[in-house]
Amino acid sequence: MTDPERLLSVAPSPAFWVAVVAYAAATAALLFVLAGHARLRPLALILVGIAFVAHGTDIGWRGTQHVHPAQSVREALGFLSFIVTGGYLLASTRYRLTLGGAAVMPVSLVLLVVARLTPAGAAPEGMSVLGRIHISLATLGVGVFALASALSMIYLLEERALKRKRFDALAFKDKGAPLESLDRLSHRLTWIGFPIFTSALVLGAIWVSRLGVSIDRPEYPLAMVTWTCYAALLVARQAYGWRGRRTARLTLVGFGGALLVLLIYLVRRMAG
Amino acid sequence: MSELFVVGISWRTAPVAVREKLAFRDEEVAGTLREITATLPVAEALLVSTCNRVEVYGVTKTGLDATGPVRGFLATQRGVTPADVAEALYDHRGSAAVRHVFSVASALDSLVLGEAQILGQLKAAYGVAAAAGTSGPLLGRCLERAFGVAKRVRSETAIARGAANVSTVAVDLARRVFGDLSGKHVLVVGAGKMSTLAARHLYASGAHEIVVTNRSPEKAEALAAEIDGIARPWAELERLLVEADVVISSTGAREPILTRALFKRVTKARRWRQLLVIDIAVPRDAEPAIGDFDGVYVFDIDDLEKVVAANLAERAKAAEHATRIVVHEAGQFEHWMRTQGVVPTIRALRERFARVAEGELQKTLDQLARRDYTPAQQREAVQRLVQLVVNKLLHRPTRALREAPPDEAGLRAEILCQLFDLSPVGPDASDAGEPDASDDARDPQAALDRELAEPAPAERKAVT
Repeated sequence: MTDPERLLSVAPSPAFWVAVVAYAAATAALLFVLAGHARLRPLALILVGIAFVAHGTDIGWRGTQHVHPAQSVREALGFLSFIVTGGYLLASTRYRLTLGGAAVMPVSLVLLVVARLTPAGAAPEGMSVLGRIHISLATLGVGVFALASALSMIYLLEERALKRKRFDALAFKDKGAPLESLDRLSHRLTWIGFPIFTSALVLGAIWVSRLGVSIDRPEYPLAMVTWTCYAALLVARQAYGWRGRRTARLTLVGFGGALLVLLIYLVRRMAG
Repeated sequence: MSELFVVGISWRTAPVAVREKLAFRDEEVAGTLREITATLPVAEALLVSTCNRVEVYGVTKTGLDATGPVRGFLATQRGVTPADVAEALYDHRGSAAVRHVFSVASALDSLVLGEAQILGQLKAAYGVAAAAGTSGPLLGRCLERAFGVAKRVRSETAIARGAANVSTVAVDLARRVFGDLSGKHVLVVGAGKMSTLAARHLYASGAHEIVVTNRSPEKAEALAAEIDGIARPWAELERLLVEADVVISSTGAREPILTRALFKRVTKARRWRQLLVIDIAVPRDAEPAIGDFDGVYVFDIDDLEKVVAANLAERAKAAEHATRIVVHEAGQFEHWMRTQGVVPTIRALRERFARVAEGELQKTLDQLARRDYTPAQQREAVQRLVQLVVNKLLHRPTRALREAPPDEAGLRAEILCQLFDLSPVGPDASDAGEPDASDDARDPQAALDRELAEPAPAERKAVT
């Protein structure tokens, strides 16, 4: 067994710095594309690709140092931004999501930097296999929700610009993705993320009850609120045919709750 | 020397009433081209005749002017007095002609800036000229390059971006809402001409079907037949609105037809599916308030025209960049044309040098084959061969230099220095005796030295 304190203080690999530079450059390139320099789009996507590969390499390198994405919330955050970047790259092969990229890349960069450069805090107690599965699934679920929320955010911006007949708005720069596609893709992602997030919640509840920790922490009811939001969203879509603006707003509310849960975890970990 | 020229008339110089007089029908073009090349001093020719321009692109026969005769031909061939169209016709020659062809292909000279239609028309005209045998290497190269420049302009500038008319704006908006239009239902309310055009564009862009409804069933049937649509009774309007994805409305009604009360029921029945309403009617058919419903997007004629104006303004901005590309490319093409002028000279020079070298080489090889030479003699024979070749090659230029009239001698010497990268020093003081021609073969180096030192015939006369 390795010393948990040492594991948490493993320094970032050179690939981490490459990823940081590539994320920053990709953000700048995507902003330039939005400003009308359409020729930079391939370069921006290449930079996102480099960031993704470097990020993956850093995660792999940490694996060789026995630090895994499910080891702690801090590590999970780094993995979350990796999933979000990968999802964006995948979606970019089909749609022009320049605005989405310009929003997602800085978020990925901040998440990665927070995950690697914040103080590790004390070693987590009672980290079992169950705990690791819980963290992995929660990260994956929130990652998928993050992508759905990014699409919903773009939907709301584009819809607002179209309703107000402002075709020169930022949301429509670089052609923008069709509203119907954004709505459909966000819905699909919610369908994928929901069972993952549900499993994470159930396993987390079992894990916490085994640890015998108090359940009056604010993140637990908050997690339930998030879950309820997404459940309501899916029911409203399927049963009542909700779509468009209202489902996009509900997606964002749900994701806000998930982010808050993560934030509370992180602050608690940093505080030790 | 042959040069490119353009003679024509376009929307810039003449109204349609004049342009139509000079226009050619498709089936007349090939015959006209043959007539131009057969009867005028034109070696290559292409004729483009569209609603916005009638132009002849051509290459003159060496040393002749073709623009005047082509101007006269265009007028008389169409039965118009040349004086009547003299002001409307324009002509360009050389580099100006190249720039014009590149500008036309890049749609910089089009009535609607950036409209791609002209490129297709030019390609078709080039095809007709090629089939008629009137397009040659220079015109062909110019047109091929023009197509390349047009492609570059379209990809590197925003000259063709954004819809430039109301019906394509409708398609653009539909794409922004739905992306792929396949499977989408289009409902045409009323039977206005603009709505017909927009519906046609949507159908051409992949829309599933077009349903037409009108207060007058006969008009609905007639319009449906015209655009391959389906006519439905006016009484079904509410149900048709529930099924549609895009509604194009252009009735002559005095009061709005697409009301808030109607859309309250329709949007609920549609379960908030996206609905694009294009209202081209004046007075408007759609109450603006229906745009407040979730998923409903309403655009009236003013909105569409604002989009067109904004897009055209963007295109005008892009035209500056596009013009720079055209000027640069035309410059490169001119450079290519200039180099083409010296190609025959280069070819002749190479052939002459090769002939001299091969002749002397053959003589030396024959000599070596006839006798048993020692290695030293073989070496001497090769040396002699090289010197002989050099002598023969330099003989004419040297004579030309020496025998040049005094006012040309300096220029010839300068050109030779440039061609052979020479840096001459002061005159050689060595004094050579009278040459013996029979010695040349024995000692080629001495012959060359003598030739260089010997005065020109005119000088010799003066000395004696």
